[in-house]
Order: sequence, then structure tokens, then C-alpha cells
Amino acid sequence: MEKKIGIVNRQAPHGRSDAREALDLTLALSAYNESLSVFFIGDGVYQLLKKHQADSILQKDFQPMLKMFDLYDIEQVYVCASSLALRNISVEQLVIKTELLSTDEIKQHLAEQDQLMSF
Amino acid sequence: MSDSQVIKFSLLVTGNPASDQSASTALQFCEAALAAGHHISGVFFYLDGVLTASHLISPASDEVNLPDRWAALAIQHHFPLEVCVSASLRRGIVNEIEAKHLDLQHYNLKTPFVLSGLGQLAELSARCDRLIQF
Repeated sequence: MEKKIGIVNRQAPHGRSDAREALDLTLALSAYNESLSVFFIGDGVYQLLKKHQADSILQKDFQPMLKMFDLYDIEQVYVCASSLALRNISVEQLVIKTELLSTDEIKQHLAEQDQLMSF
Repeated sequence: MSDSQVIKFSLLVTGNPASDQSASTALQFCEAALAAGHHISGVFFYLDGVLTASHLISPASDEVNLPDRWAALAIQHHFPLEVCVSASLRRGIVNEIEAKHLDLQHYNLKTPFVLSGLGQLAELSARCDRLIQF
């Protein structure tokens, strides 16, 4: 039975390279594992906020790669609803389609994973 | 310890060896797990963790040399030290083959660390009982 792997994104998109390299890791693992779940929690929700202008701060614009989740069959993409609300971000402002979860639902989903990687 | 009690661990090390304590904790975890009779399937270095694979790391004599410690432990207990190639190249960790390929004058990957792809992480994740991230 394939292991359920959860990848948790908690960092803002460009202060460190964690977000971009976690995305590389997610896309690569999806080739080997079809039970990936991806979580965006806390400042991690900023990774999904539309209209990054990464090149103006000498960073790579990785948002187009987020749109490859569909192509890579990464379907379980979850966003913490309270993290969005705290930052006054609406679902319409997100660059990809995701499922909103309450804190309790996030906890439940995290508990269901066999392995977690957190960035 | 009977075989049924032996846990197969894989480690994912993302901490910078010079500035994050997690890099040292990972080594200590490995040593403790092995001492308790458990098995290490392998260690995968990612993000700033790949810097651990440089043989140019030269701490002061009263500080711990993490690359030396990892290399000795891995050789003694026969587990692989896998280093993500793309994370490595952007941080200046290069082996002989990549140096030739990229026309670089030097390389610095320490033995027995090996450059490998994220597929190796998938492999380590699949064949362990527990994946622990540092």
C-alpha cells in the first residue's frame, strides 16, 4: 500500500527558498507517489496569492509551476481557512483551485498521513 | 532486539550545517537510533542541508566537523548519504562529473556523499518505517 505523504508549506514565498524548493520536491515526488497531499498553512498561504512580481526582487517566479499540480495529478491541495481569514485573503485571490479546511479538518488530514515533510 | 522491533528510519536533513542546530540533531538522532539497534535506510540532504556535503567545511578545532562525522557514521553502518543535485548545484556543491559537465575548475563533494535526484527521496520514503525531518 502506497504511503500517504503530506507536504506542509508554512513559509512566505520569497523570504527564503523553502517555498520554491518545497514545490520542486512536491512535483518530483508526484512522479513516484500518487497519494500526495499538499497543505498551505500560516504565511504559506501567501505562496498562493496572485500577482507575485518575483523578478523585481531577483527571485524566481514559481507561481506558474503551481499550476502544474493539475497536470501532475496532485489533487489534494488544502488551504487553512483561518490562515486566509487572518490575512484578509479571499479564495478568488488564489492562483490555483484548492480546498479550504478548518483548523480541525487540517489536524485530521495531517493525522491521516503516513509521512509529513514541512517547509 | 528482535527483528520485529527494529525500525527502519530514513532522514530528511534540510538544516544548514553551520547555522542550524537541526543539522547536528540529525546526526545525534542517527547515532542514537543505531546504538539502540535500529536501522538507517539512508539520509537525504535538501535545501541548506546539502551544504553538509562539502569537503571544504573547516570548523575551528574545538568545534564539531559535521561532514566528517556523517561520513564516518555512514561508512561504518553502510547507509547512503544522498544529496539533491539541483539544490546542491545552486549552492556550489559539485562533484567531479558535474564540474566537467559545467566547465567548472573545482569540485568539492565529500566522499561518501553522492549527488542524486529527488527520486531517491521518494525511494527512501517508500522503503522506511519512519521518515524523520531535521
